[in-house]
Amino acid sequence: MQIKKLLLGLLLVSPTLLWAQGSQVNTQGQKAVGMAGAGSALFVDETSIFYSPGALAKMNQNAVSVGASAIMYRSAFREFNSNDVHHTKFKISPPFSVFATFGPRNSWWKAGLGVYTPFGGSVDWGDQWPGRYELNHLQMRAIYIQPTLSFKLTENFGIGGGFVYNVGLVDLSRSIPLASADGTPGRAELSGVGTGMGFNVGVHYNLEDDFAISLSYRSQVITKLKDGDAEFTVPPALATSFPNTTFDAELPLPSSFNIGLTFPASERVDIAADATFIGYSIYKELVFDYKENTPVLEDTKQEKKYENALSAKVGINYEASDRLDLRIGGGYVYSPVRGPYVSPETPDNNRMMGSIGFTYDINDRWDLTGAYVFQRILERTVTSANTGLSGAYKTNIHAPGISLTYKW
Amino acid sequence: MKRIFKNIPLYIGILSTLLAFSCKPEIEGIPTTAGEADFSKYIAVGNSLTAGFADGGLYLEGQQVAFPNLISEQLRQVGGGNFRSPFFSENERNGSGYLHLKDLVNGQPVMENVTDHLAYRQEGKLTKYTDDIENLGVPGMRLDLSTQDWFGGLNMYFERLLPDSDVGSKTYVQFATEKNHTFFSFWLGNNDVLGYAMNGAVTNPGDPTTVLTQTATFEQVYRDFIGALTTNERKGVVATIPDVTAIPFFTTVTREALIAAVKAESGQDIQDIYIETGAGTAKAASDNDLFVLPFASAGLLGSTSAENPLPYGLHPDHPVESKYVLDSDEVTTIQARVKAFNGIIEEVAKEEGLALANAHAYLNRVKNPGIVYNGVAVNASFITGNAFSLDGVHLTPIGNALIANLFIEAINKQYGSRIPKVDASKYRGVKFP
Repeated sequence: MQIKKLLLGLLLVSPTLLWAQGSQVNTQGQKAVGMAGAGSALFVDETSIFYSPGALAKMNQNAVSVGASAIMYRSAFREFNSNDVHHTKFKISPPFSVFATFGPRNSWWKAGLGVYTPFGGSVDWGDQWPGRYELNHLQMRAIYIQPTLSFKLTENFGIGGGFVYNVGLVDLSRSIPLASADGTPGRAELSGVGTGMGFNVGVHYNLEDDFAISLSYRSQVITKLKDGDAEFTVPPALATSFPNTTFDAELPLPSSFNIGLTFPASERVDIAADATFIGYSIYKELVFDYKENTPVLEDTKQEKKYENALSAKVGINYEASDRLDLRIGGGYVYSPVRGPYVSPETPDNNRMMGSIGFTYDINDRWDLTGAYVFQRILERTVTSANTGLSGAYKTNIHAPGISLTYKW
Repeated sequence: MKRIFKNIPLYIGILSTLLAFSCKPEIEGIPTTAGEADFSKYIAVGNSLTAGFADGGLYLEGQQVAFPNLISEQLRQVGGGNFRSPFFSENERNGSGYLHLKDLVNGQPVMENVTDHLAYRQEGKLTKYTDDIENLGVPGMRLDLSTQDWFGGLNMYFERLLPDSDVGSKTYVQFATEKNHTFFSFWLGNNDVLGYAMNGAVTNPGDPTTVLTQTATFEQVYRDFIGALTTNERKGVVATIPDVTAIPFFTTVTREALIAAVKAESGQDIQDIYIETGAGTAKAASDNDLFVLPFASAGLLGSTSAENPLPYGLHPDHPVESKYVLDSDEVTTIQARVKAFNGIIEEVAKEEGLALANAHAYLNRVKNPGIVYNGVAVNASFITGNAFSLDGVHLTPIGNALIANLFIEAINKQYGSRIPKVDASKYRGVKFP
């Protein structure tokens, strides 16, 4: 009859905190965005710091570019056997990137610094949808800071590598199924900052101005979140069972291996194709360690069982005039998430991508690049292994972006 | 060049706005249909569960989330009509009064009666509600008494729904079968065992609500009642009677918990609780003997009186009275009776082509292993299990929503209809202070 013992039945399902595939919208370089992510072998510029460190040394001059995208996730959910469709609220998450190169002109080496956000997103389902006890809102961002060095071993062969320091920010909330006197449920809010380290290496080889190939590898980055804040709003009589406390968690960001190819189709047209293997299988479980435990607030371990994923992207670059390049691209991404582990933070499935883009040479010093990518995460009907929530998800992602480059 | 820069925010603004409004993903819904059924006038026949009784009382908030009311909201999508309930007025919203959780002291619940905004017109008589209604649930209604015209004078919830001229002269069967319904839900029979079981398997002399109904009586009344509701091939859904051991009223106060409580309070190292069996003998309780929930707050255990100086329940010569305990033999008897009743219900449902909501199986599953509904753990634990309200017998709002979905599934299965499910996560469990 001890209610403390009885309360065990309440066991909170552990927070679904992860940098899911769904959150990976690569918008580091707007030229590549315009080709749906292809172009690591084609574009030899400051964004090679991210896409192909081996190509960086092949840049003759120096450049700095600043870019930003407005990523809009629009997810919808319909519970199994229901006709009520719930949408996430309209949110824009603004990943940015800054790339700068340093080094002598026409030299055998080049240094660079990239600051970019390879993972990030913002979803807000609110607290009135059927999955409210799984997630209300989630905002997260991983910022990578990557100093890079690249060398030209021969005129055609470049190699490069960088060190990655990651700062991850996360902020999420969910409802707790404990009604207060006015009937409203409780709420948990978790937020924190984590850091991690990794590296990025690559080689780039080209045959004169024709064919080029780029290989690059980005290591996994285990982001350790320490002393994040956990705040609980529960009925006062239960407050001692839900102390405001801190938590530690580990978020593995996956490694990826990328192959890029490019070749000219005509004098003004280049075709580029990229394939990326993403090592999501490191993501087996999510462990959540609360500093202060009570019978209802125990450390949690949630199975994720991700599989490795693959994406393929193709793009065409058309030199419309001396000053204007136009781009179009398409791609397909295989999801690493198995059905029962799909969660509402970014309800993942295989996705299709389509993009357009341009670069306008304003003058010898300034370039303006714009791109727009649309991604459709295909409809997927799942039953969550963790919460039993059953229904169909579908997501559209829009990401218009723009960047400005200054060369010298 | 300058103009291009100046206008960048504008371009982004225009583009974002366009995207914001034009590109929501759409998900195709299910095609709703009434199938072979006609839901234009749905009536709900039943007892306290149908009425929305919860927390030991009938009050407005409970009425509003009674499972038939939740079903009726879903039926609107498949041609359902008006569904009216005998709601208490806002000013009399607390109806009969009910229990609320006042505090948790050392993990123990402290409950209190709500005594304001009640709906009594005089002692033991509620404010009348005689307008047309479709939720015909009457707390305390029993199958065996549904044919007794005098029951309207005895049961205040039934009396409330009858014009004075009908009180004592109209049976519940008559009351429920004159509504010109096109579809019905029927969940009666629970009290034919529960009235007896909750009284520790003791029938109080002169109290027909504590009788254990005979199987033959049950079968006859059940067949007659369903026969009257299904004339002209009208369709409906019936439900089985839950196992008494599936509800916290009988499973919260365990032998183990009582021994622990005595040890904690007095430091006595006791081994046994003594109970009076249905046969009138005393024995040491086993884990198969079930104490009723009110025994926890009765304050009797270990107490002494002038007539019996031995500690209550702790000595074979001063056992816990039979009315506070269902001994294992009584549990067996009652479970056998429930089984017999459910056999009749299933048979009649089959014969009449009615949908069958198997509440017996469902609540047993809630008890063990328990279910997880959209992240909410639902089980038969008292207070924290989410399914049962503070009386340990009746459902919480989320419990009602889950039962509504059980009925909807049964109807869909039987009649080829597609009634969408209730979003049960909208509804709460027990309110905490």
